[in-house]
Amino acid sequence: MSKYILISLVFLGAVFLSIIIGPAELTIDILQLRISRVILAIFAGGILAFCGGILQGLFGNPLVEPYTLGSASGAALGGSVGMLLFGTISPLFAFLGALGVGFFVFTIARIEGGLLRDRLILAGVVMSFLCSSLVMVIMVLGGRELYEILYLLMGYLGVVITSANRSMIIAMIVVSGILLIYLYRYYRELDIISQGMETAAGLGIDIQKLSIIIFLTTALLIGITVSIVGAIGFVGLIVPHISKLIFGPKHLKNLPGSFLLGATFLLLADTIARVITVYELPVGVVTSLVGVPFFIYLYRKR
Amino acid sequence: MIFGNASRTVAIGCAVLILITCIINNRCEGPAPHTGFKIVSLSPAMTENIFALGAAQDLVGVTTFCDYPEEAKKIYKIGDFSNPSLERIVSLKPDLVIVNLPEQMRIKRQLEKLNINIFTSSPRTLDDIYNEIIEIGRIVKKQQAADSLVNYMKMHISRVDKPVLPVPKYIEGNAVEGSSKKRVYIELSPRPLVTIGAPSFLNELLEMAGAENIFADLGKDYPVVPQEEVIKRNPDVIIVLHPVSIKDRMGWQTVTAIKNNKVYTTLNQDHLMRPGPRLIIGFAQLKRIMDE
Repeated sequence: MSKYILISLVFLGAVFLSIIIGPAELTIDILQLRISRVILAIFAGGILAFCGGILQGLFGNPLVEPYTLGSASGAALGGSVGMLLFGTISPLFAFLGALGVGFFVFTIARIEGGLLRDRLILAGVVMSFLCSSLVMVIMVLGGRELYEILYLLMGYLGVVITSANRSMIIAMIVVSGILLIYLYRYYRELDIISQGMETAAGLGIDIQKLSIIIFLTTALLIGITVSIVGAIGFVGLIVPHISKLIFGPKHLKNLPGSFLLGATFLLLADTIARVITVYELPVGVVTSLVGVPFFIYLYRKR
Repeated sequence: MIFGNASRTVAIGCAVLILITCIINNRCEGPAPHTGFKIVSLSPAMTENIFALGAAQDLVGVTTFCDYPEEAKKIYKIGDFSNPSLERIVSLKPDLVIVNLPEQMRIKRQLEKLNINIFTSSPRTLDDIYNEIIEIGRIVKKQQAADSLVNYMKMHISRVDKPVLPVPKYIEGNAVEGSSKKRVYIELSPRPLVTIGAPSFLNELLEMAGAENIFADLGKDYPVVPQEEVIKRNPDVIIVLHPVSIKDRMGWQTVTAIKNNKVYTTLNQDHLMRPGPRLIIGFAQLKRIMDE
């Protein structure tokens, strides 16, 4: 429990830092902007890390995350298509892309009565490559909007909030919260699956059904996230490992841990991104620049 | 069965791909035969310049971005601005290829290896633009037309001479109409926010129109900037060169330009961003905005 208090304090510290640090003086308007940015960072970082943690638990594979399963690239692809058709990135399209690719991967891996787990990852990686190529094609066709696609692929927390997209963002955050709670309810099953497939099957867990539920729900969550802040890499892959180091293998503890750590990590990365230059850096650049050395250090120490 | 299932699928797949390639290839008509000096222009602005000089008959290939004047659309397309096709350029056997730097560095290198004549266009300042027009005029043997085009542009794009006196003590500069330079923010894209920095002719145009670019201190031509920075620098005028409305942005309501309704959305990006004769139109519009 004390670990939670400690991590929560670190999290609050990160929130405080991101609100007070920035180029402009802290007026009401700037405060509004920073708070919305903090909310987006918590939302994106938390969801990415949580989904990474749950997928890694389900597939028993440390490399699994939303990106290796194709949903993130699918969302980016959908966003680019929307941009080509309507000039701006349409959240609806990003979301449909994630879901579409999710379904595709799911169909490739589907056999009678369930999913082949190995094939799911392979299909996800293959579809990611396909989507990246298609995004490149769209970059070529779109030409001028190259910046937009770059920031969509690397993540962008400086989203301009207008009355047009505000209510949609709020709605999406609420929906995501509900989906997260829905997924969290499976923590016991995930613990048992981590012990081994046979044990889990022997205890009467419908692994195939659970895989399908988790796979589709995370695809949905990632679609929502990417449509708002773009495809921020690294958080979903690494943060769950750190969470397991701190909170242990039980999903009851390490999934909320992943959420908190993911949010904290993205908040700090974004604060750094805002401070080091006058320019707006894609936050995905900073997450890996800061995260990789930290991760290597952590693992070397163990 | 001689072939296994998988290899048959692969064979059919390849056949289909080859068929598609053939169909697509046939749909692309080849260029019309041409004698005389042949130019391929990879720069929409230089295409406009060549038309303006009355040397359009020399153009045998342009990019899909070369959309002005109307006749330019009918010229054989060798690809788009960022991805011109080397093969198509070479097949035209051009005497000169106009490349735009830094965007077209790769194709320039490839053309150099093939010993094709290259004209490099990368105007940073208005003077660069004028020099390039004079130079291309010499190449297409339209020196006189080039001189008069440049003179015409210089005549219409000239510094607005409004004496800018220092603001007297105890008077806030911005409170008095016309007492100081208008500070302008130009937005090229809403997501992320892309604007213009100092090393660009658009920055120069703004200054000549009697305005000040709020991001003139940035050394990049098209910097991506954070919202906070724009709000902090508080522009008097915002010029939007994309179709998305910026009126009801959260946190922007205290920005002077938005409070005073000085947001301009109807300017044509090509009039301001394309270093060709139509800059005259863009400059006239800028001046009108600064006078309002």
